[in-house]
Amino acid sequence: MFDGLLVPETVYAEIEAGGVPPGLADVSYELVETDAEEKKTGDLDVGESAAISIARERKVTLLTDDLAARESAADAGIEVHGSIGVIALAHGRGRLDADEAATQMRALQRETSLFTTDAVIERGIELLDETR
Amino acid sequence: MAAEISDRVREIAEANDLPESEVFERALERGLEILWEDVVLRRYLGGEIDRDEAIEQVGRTEVERVEREQRIVEEDVDWGLNA
Repeated sequence: MFDGLLVPETVYAEIEAGGVPPGLADVSYELVETDAEEKKTGDLDVGESAAISIARERKVTLLTDDLAARESAADAGIEVHGSIGVIALAHGRGRLDADEAATQMRALQRETSLFTTDAVIERGIELLDETR
Repeated sequence: MAAEISDRVREIAEANDLPESEVFERALERGLEILWEDVVLRRYLGGEIDRDEAIEQVGRTEVERVEREQRIVEEDVDWGLNA
């Protein structure tokens, strides 16, 4: 679905600490080394700062669900999207049908610390439905 | 899960020096408040009520938060469908 997926080593270490999701083994990605402390941006943690730094240096889209990181990246002129966008992309490219995309969006809100409420998720699902 | 809830209720009751029945009552009130806000915000996003009415029912902070979240979700969906 993507030309490539870059994961900062700092972010991977954070994922490892919380338990690597089994699905990650099926995804091809490149670990990218950064000097996390040196790259630290404002109040963002080192993982988010590293991701922003890599996105800026390589001129690629940043994927994050952290609102503060998202705003910081957008302010820096970096294209930034989140899990909702990835689900919509999978739907747009025929990897998920509309029902599967809706299920995934609801699961994001229910099972993760996604920033938003179910009212907004339902609005996102409506937008997907409008493309049917 | 049931045991976890029961343990938490007991701990909250002890920490606040309250009977467990009152902990349940407060939990129900807070839970209902959140569910009610979702109903109001969904009506607002769906155009069933206007912004002023939404603000009156759940407060300006909540309405502005949901507007910000909606912008982000719309941007993401638009990107995903058109990338």
